[in-house]
Amino acid sequence: MVDPSLLTNPVYLLQNLVDGLARGAVYAVFALGFTLIFGVLDIVNLAHAATYMWCAFVGWIVMSEWGLPLPVGLLAAMLAGGLIAVGLEFVAFRPLRQEGAERLAPMISSIGASIIMVSLAETFFSAQTKRFPSGVLDPKPLYLGGTDGVRVSWAQLLIVVVSIVLMVGLGYLIRRTRTGKAIRAVAYSQRAARLLGINVNRIVVITFFIGGLLAGAAGILIGLLTNNIAPGIGAQIELRGLAVVILGGLGNIEGAVIGGLLLGLVETFTIAYFQKGGDYKDAIAFLILFLILLVRPNGLLGRKEANRA
Amino acid sequence: MNKSGLYLRYGLYALLGLVLLGNAFLFLRSINDLDRFLINAILGLSVFITLNTGLLSLANAGFMAIGAYTSAILVAKVGLPLPLGLLGAMALCGLVGLLIGLPVLRLSDVYLAISTLGFGEVVRVLIVTNPDLTGGATGANLSTGFAYDTMKQTQTWMLVVFLGFLIYLFYFLARSRTGRALRAIRQNASAASTMGINVVFYRNLAFVISAVIAGAGGTFYAHQVGSLDNGDFRFTRAVDILSYAVLGGSTHWFGPILGAGLLTALPIFLREVLGGAFQFIKDFVQLPNIINGLALMLVIIFLPGGLYAPAQGRGFRLKSREKLEIRNQKSELNQPSSFIPHPSPSGPLLELREVRQAFGGVTAVDNVSFTLPAGGIYGLIGPNGAGKTTLLNLISGLYRPGQGQIIFAGHDITGKPPHQIARLGIARTYQNIRLFPDMTVLENVVVGHHARIKTNLLTTWLRLPQERREERAAREEALTLLNRLGLSSFANLPASKLSYGDQRRVEIARALALEPQLLLLDEPAAGMNNVESTRLAEFILELKRQGYTILVIEHHMDLIMQVSDEIVVLNFGRKIAQDVPTIVQQNPQVVEAYLGQG
Repeated sequence: MVDPSLLTNPVYLLQNLVDGLARGAVYAVFALGFTLIFGVLDIVNLAHAATYMWCAFVGWIVMSEWGLPLPVGLLAAMLAGGLIAVGLEFVAFRPLRQEGAERLAPMISSIGASIIMVSLAETFFSAQTKRFPSGVLDPKPLYLGGTDGVRVSWAQLLIVVVSIVLMVGLGYLIRRTRTGKAIRAVAYSQRAARLLGINVNRIVVITFFIGGLLAGAAGILIGLLTNNIAPGIGAQIELRGLAVVILGGLGNIEGAVIGGLLLGLVETFTIAYFQKGGDYKDAIAFLILFLILLVRPNGLLGRKEANRA
Repeated sequence: MNKSGLYLRYGLYALLGLVLLGNAFLFLRSINDLDRFLINAILGLSVFITLNTGLLSLANAGFMAIGAYTSAILVAKVGLPLPLGLLGAMALCGLVGLLIGLPVLRLSDVYLAISTLGFGEVVRVLIVTNPDLTGGATGANLSTGFAYDTMKQTQTWMLVVFLGFLIYLFYFLARSRTGRALRAIRQNASAASTMGINVVFYRNLAFVISAVIAGAGGTFYAHQVGSLDNGDFRFTRAVDILSYAVLGGSTHWFGPILGAGLLTALPIFLREVLGGAFQFIKDFVQLPNIINGLALMLVIIFLPGGLYAPAQGRGFRLKSREKLEIRNQKSELNQPSSFIPHPSPSGPLLELREVRQAFGGVTAVDNVSFTLPAGGIYGLIGPNGAGKTTLLNLISGLYRPGQGQIIFAGHDITGKPPHQIARLGIARTYQNIRLFPDMTVLENVVVGHHARIKTNLLTTWLRLPQERREERAAREEALTLLNRLGLSSFANLPASKLSYGDQRRVEIARALALEPQLLLLDEPAAGMNNVESTRLAEFILELKRQGYTILVIEHHMDLIMQVSDEIVVLNFGRKIAQDVPTIVQQNPQVVEAYLGQG
C-alpha cells in the first residue's frame, strides 16, 4: 500500500504538510460559516455550499470577464456571499422561524434553495470548468531550501494569510465587540436576548452576512488553489465542511478551524502515501464523520449534550 | 392555515388538474412515463416513512443505487430471476441501513441528515472505484457489459402490484401501535420516550424500512432503464425523492404518491405541451430540478403539511357506538376505577442518593437525597430555579445524573433510558405541556398504552386477531380514563385545540394509561381556575386511595398543603426541608427561601 521510499523522504513530507495545510485552511474558512450559523441559530444551512460555489463564479466574472485585480475579486466575492446568505435568511429561513414550525423545515427549505442555486449555475455557466486568469497571481512558486526543496505557491501563501486574517477577525468580532456579544446572547437563547432588548432579527441577519462573507472567501480561495470553478464544486466541499463541523463539534468555532486543518492534512497525506488514495479522497470526509459519530458524537472539542432522546 | 397557504394549495390543485389532463394521453402514449411515475411513488414512500418519524434522511439515492447495482449484478451476472434479485437488493439495503442507522440515530436528528448526505456520496465513490463489479464511472449496460440479453425486465404490472403491496402495509401501519409510536416520536420525541416508547429502536426501524423500499425502487429503476450510471444517484436524486413526500404530504401515505405524480408529470407536461410553443422551455434542461427546489421551499413555508394533509387524527375517532356509551355514562370525575396498582414490595418506592446535576457552571441539583415510601402524595416545592423540574427530568431519565443513585422499587434506574424507566412504572406530566398536538385526545391517551400493548408489525400486517383485541381494549381503557377526568367530550379533537387546563388533564390521563406505580406531576394546576384545581386536588387524593404514589410540583400552595402527606423543599438545588406540611410551613429556612431574608 505505502511506498517505503516516500516515508523516508523529508522534503516530500514537508511538501505534503504545506499542501495539506493550505487545503485545510480553505476547508476551515468554509466550515466556519457553517458552524457559525449552526451555533447561533441551530440551523444546518445546506445552501452554504451553493453560496460558496456562486461566490467563486462572481470572482471569476470580476477577474476574468471584467479583468479586475485579485483584491477586488476577493472583496466582490465576499460581498456577494454575504448578500446571498442574507437573501437566504429572508427567503428560506425567516418565514420558518415561528412557533410550531417543524424542526426539519429550515433544513428542507435550504435543500430546496441549494438545488435551485446549483441548477441556475449549471444553466448559466454550463457544467464546464472556468478558470481565473493566469495573471492574478505570480505562477512561479516560492522555494524553501532550493529548487529541490519545498514548493509553496503564491496561492497557498495567500490562502494561509487570508484565512488567518479571517479567523482572527472572526474571533475578535465574536469575543471583543458589542455585536459579538449580542451574537453570543442570541446563540444562548433567542428569547432571553429579545427580552434584553437585542434586536434578534438584526443579529440573525448579521450572522448570516458574516457566514456568507466566509463562504465567499472560501470560494475564491479554492478557485485559486485548484483553478477549477464549476457548478459542482459546492457538492464537493459540502460534505467536507459538514465533516469538519462535526469533527470540531457543531457550533464550535475553534473546533472548525482545527477540524478543517486536520481534514486537509489527512486527505493530502492519504493521496500522497497510499496507492489509489486519490480514488477514495471523496470518501475520507465521510469516514472521519462516521468514526466521530461512533466514538465521540459531540466532536473532538464538543461538550456533552445534557438532553437526551 | 394562513391565506397564502390556501392560495398555494388551490394553485397546486389547479396545476395538478391541468397536468393530469395534459398527461393522461402522454402517460397512455408512453408506458415509460407511467412506469417512471410508479417507481417514483415507491421511492416517495421510502422517504415518507422517515419523515413521518421526524427524520430527515438524504440516503435514499444511495440506497436506490445499492438496490439498482445489487439487483443488476444478481440478475445480469449471476443469472438469478428478477424477484430474487429484488429480494437480494432489499436485504442488502436493510442491512446497510441498520449499520448506518445504529450509530447515527441515537444522536439528535441533525446528524442523520448530515451523515446520510455523506452516505450517498460514498456509495457513488464505491461504484466508481470498483469498475469490475459495477462498470465504474462509465456505467453498466445491462445488455452488454453484463452479458445479459433481456435488459428491460420491469413491467408495469410488477410496479402496480408492488405499490399496491406497499399501500397495504402503510394503510395498516398508520392504524397500529407501531405507526402511533412513529408519529408520537415526530411530534415530541422526549414525551414519547417517557411514555415507554423506545425512540432509538423505532427510528432505526423506520430508517431500515425506508432503506429496503428505496432498494426496491432502485431495482425497478435499473431494470426499467436497462443501463446504470452512478450519475443517476447524485444528490439531486435524493432531493427529487424528498420533494415527492414534502410536496405531496408527509402525514399520510397518499401524500408521496400524489407528489410523485405531480413532480413526474409536470416536467413532461412542460416539455411536451409548452415546449412545442416555447423553444426555451425545451432547452431548459435544469427545469425539473428548479421545480423540485421551488416545490420544497414554497410548500415547507406556506403549506407545511403538504398537498394532501387530511384532518388531524383522522382514523382515530370515536365510533358511534362508543359515543352512545359515553352519553349513557355519567361523566363523573371520581368514578372509581377497577384498576388497583400492585402494592410495591415493602420499603421505599423511590430513593434518591446524593443526586447531583450540573449544567456548565450551574449546579441545578446539588446532592439531593430523599426516600418516598409507597402510597403517599409528596409535594416538591421551592422558588423558581430551585431545580424541581430538573429533578423530575432526572427521575424520569431525560437527564442522566452527573453523580448519585436513583433507586425505584428495588431497581437501580440511574442512567437508564426514559422508556425503560417508564416501563418499570414511572409516568409523568410536563410543566410545558408536551402532548402530541396533531393527534386526537383519544389517540394521545392510547399512546400511553404503548408499553402495555404487545402488538408489532407482524401482528399488524398479518391482521392477527390479537391486533384487533388489544387495540380495542386500549381504546376502551383510554375512554374510561378520559371519562374519569371529564374529558370524554373532547376525545375526537386534536389535542392542540384544547384549553391549557384541559391539556394538562389529558397529560394526566395519558400518564395514567401507563398504569404507573409512581406518578410525577409537574405543575398540574397551572392554568386552571379555582374550581378546576379543587377538582384536581380531589382527583389526586382519589388516585392515592387507589394505591398510586404521587410526586407533585406545584406553586398553588393551598393545593399542595391540602393533598401532600409530606413535602420536600428545594432551594438553589439543595434540599432544605422534608416534613409534613404543617411543620414545613413553619420551617424558618423555607420561609426565608420564599420571602427572602427579612
